[in-house]
Amino acid sequence: MGAGRWTARARGVRAAAAAVAALGLLATGCGGGSGSGDGKVTIRYSWWGAKDRAELIQKTVKLFEKEHPNIKVKTDFSEYTDFWSKFNTQAAGGNAPDVFQNSYAFLRKYGDKNLLLDLNGQADAGNLSLKGFRDGLEKAGDIDGKLLGVPVGANTFAFFYNPDSYRKAGVTVKDGWTWDDFFAAAKKVRKSDGTRYGASDNANVMYLYDLYLRQNGKAFFTKDDKLGFTKDDLAEWWGRWQQHAKADELVPGKKSEQAKPKASISADLSASEFTWDNFLVRFAAETKTTLDLGPIPTTDGKRTGQYLSSLMLSGSARTQHPKEVAQFIDFMTHDPEVGKIMGYNRGIPATTAQYDAYQPQGVDAKIAAYEKSVSAKLEPITPHPAGADVAEAAFLRIYAQVALGQTSMGKAVDQFFNEAESALGS
Amino acid sequence: MTPTTTRAADGVRPPGGTTPGKATPGTRPAPAAGRRQGRRETLAGYLFLTPWCVGILLLTLGPMLVSLYLAFTDYNLFDSPKWIGFKNFQDLFADDRWWTSVQVTLKYVLIGTPLKLAVALAVALLLVKPRKGQGFYRSAFYAPSLIGASVSIGVVWRAIFNDDAVVDKSMSLFGWDVGGWIGDPDWALPTLITLTVWQFGAPMVIFLAGLKQVPGELYEAAEMDGAGRWRRFRSITLPMISPVLFFNLLLELIHSFQVFTSAVVIAGSGTNTGGPGDSLLVYGWYLYEQGFRNLRMGYAAAMAWMLMLGIGLVTAVLFKTQRGWVHYEEDAR
Repeated sequence: MGAGRWTARARGVRAAAAAVAALGLLATGCGGGSGSGDGKVTIRYSWWGAKDRAELIQKTVKLFEKEHPNIKVKTDFSEYTDFWSKFNTQAAGGNAPDVFQNSYAFLRKYGDKNLLLDLNGQADAGNLSLKGFRDGLEKAGDIDGKLLGVPVGANTFAFFYNPDSYRKAGVTVKDGWTWDDFFAAAKKVRKSDGTRYGASDNANVMYLYDLYLRQNGKAFFTKDDKLGFTKDDLAEWWGRWQQHAKADELVPGKKSEQAKPKASISADLSASEFTWDNFLVRFAAETKTTLDLGPIPTTDGKRTGQYLSSLMLSGSARTQHPKEVAQFIDFMTHDPEVGKIMGYNRGIPATTAQYDAYQPQGVDAKIAAYEKSVSAKLEPITPHPAGADVAEAAFLRIYAQVALGQTSMGKAVDQFFNEAESALGS
Repeated sequence: MTPTTTRAADGVRPPGGTTPGKATPGTRPAPAAGRRQGRRETLAGYLFLTPWCVGILLLTLGPMLVSLYLAFTDYNLFDSPKWIGFKNFQDLFADDRWWTSVQVTLKYVLIGTPLKLAVALAVALLLVKPRKGQGFYRSAFYAPSLIGASVSIGVVWRAIFNDDAVVDKSMSLFGWDVGGWIGDPDWALPTLITLTVWQFGAPMVIFLAGLKQVPGELYEAAEMDGAGRWRRFRSITLPMISPVLFFNLLLELIHSFQVFTSAVVIAGSGTNTGGPGDSLLVYGWYLYEQGFRNLRMGYAAAMAWMLMLGIGLVTAVLFKTQRGWVHYEEDAR
């Protein structure tokens, strides 16, 4: 008995020592990322997404480890907003993941705080190839001459609709249709479809409003980090949607809140909705209804204001292993096998090598056809200053309160400007 | 038996009968040896206290002081904090969402806590009399509060009260059509309050202990005088357990003010912030959002200190009023 107890205690002491050592590592800011005696290097890779993406990413990581036996990749994932809360905490403690999923909206926010690795140096050293990216994407992660992210996939905004409902209502969705056409269509669909509303109330979607502003020669954010529209502009946009919502043509605020986390269209509440084209993958899993992708309505019958946005991989400026991080990003963006595994889960692959390797089927084929159909209309992306994410969250939340009848339009517009301006100013 | 009587006095009650506190110095061994022994024990005592002392200095006092400092700064987690005096506090009072979070939290605390205590007391009254299967029922009612703080229970609650889920469907049978409760700004908070009321196990156990201390003679005497059930409850049970009631009230109030996990999980942090129309924006959540999402750590620290002030105030008021309604046995004698 005595001996057993002693070994147990010794084990306890060893565990405690290990814990203290681990704490020490964390405190010095290199937790887990250090190389061990056998020359093997461990890098941490974190990203946001759901379970389906997790399985695909595990496969690609295994593939990478096989090709680079000296590098071990530890993965970590959570949902979108939780991901950023966690990232902020880790980064503030000097313990950001070595490499992580990022998007255009966050490049400046973290770039300004010197948290992101400038990958230009690694590209020059030959650890990362910047060739072979599809049109419009080679400069996607370039912020003021620093390469802060490399795109893995790209997506663009789209009009989702239920072809059956629209056919029944006698509406055809066609290139160059206008916002008036869209609202008239929603009204018709609402009248002919007994169960669905004509459209989801998407007045709260910052990216859609951005397109509308771009059609009118403006944009949501300006190059000097300000809001690119006036209070009157916003009151007009929100007011227009509200008018149709009150006429019972759009999904009421309460219903769309209740449907969350599903989107109104995938909860079969509405016959149309605006969002990123790669969401078709997710919607196909959520609803049995077949959905099609159509063109964004316009102001002048020509310009949709669309652009490619992208999901990226970024490195931490504090990483101990910039070379391995660059090799990892290079593999994840260029390797054809990775392209085959990931499909359009993170948007259409950013490099031609991966794009060509994957033969889209089912909903993926729809997305591919849609992106092909809009490729000639694409323009440069609207800049996203630091604080853009906070402004987006405020835009969503405050309009939801309008739709729920909790606040007046005037008050809501004022509140949005207050919150957004203070977020952009900081 | 080698140990000295001091050890016996410190630990176990000597068979003779003096209570540990009343152990006289006379029972100790010779002074010199005793002092040495005493010093060794003091040393040992401090040694055993070390982890706790280190803990409170590093993990409680230190962070609190840092947080107090941060409350007067503009700090975004990454750049070094800039001193801005009372600006964070001024901004708080001008912040509509801060007021929303105060309102939501007060509603949660003021409705949830009394309800929870009432249920806890009612169930404790049912379970205090010995009956078959008592142990099972006690544990069954206590179980929800054991797992209560965990995320899983929030997830279950979410599943139950979601759109098209059990509650929604069964209510529709009776013609009460709310739809998803947690997505409805009018019903989200009541759902959250139901969750906290359901977790009445911990105060229930304390009530049980209190109820057992009430002398049976009092009830017998009252019954002889013709007092009915309600009268006995009001005139005997309530005053006799008032110290326990006070303790529970204090604990639950403080606890409720800090509600966070259940609100976040029920609202689904992945898609919402603050729940539908901010109806679930409890204080803790808004604090977290400002600190870790919007990177306004100084502002969040100021919020935390306002919360502490608020809880301190409520506690102080409760202690002031306890004279009026809390009866300790010593007072009677």
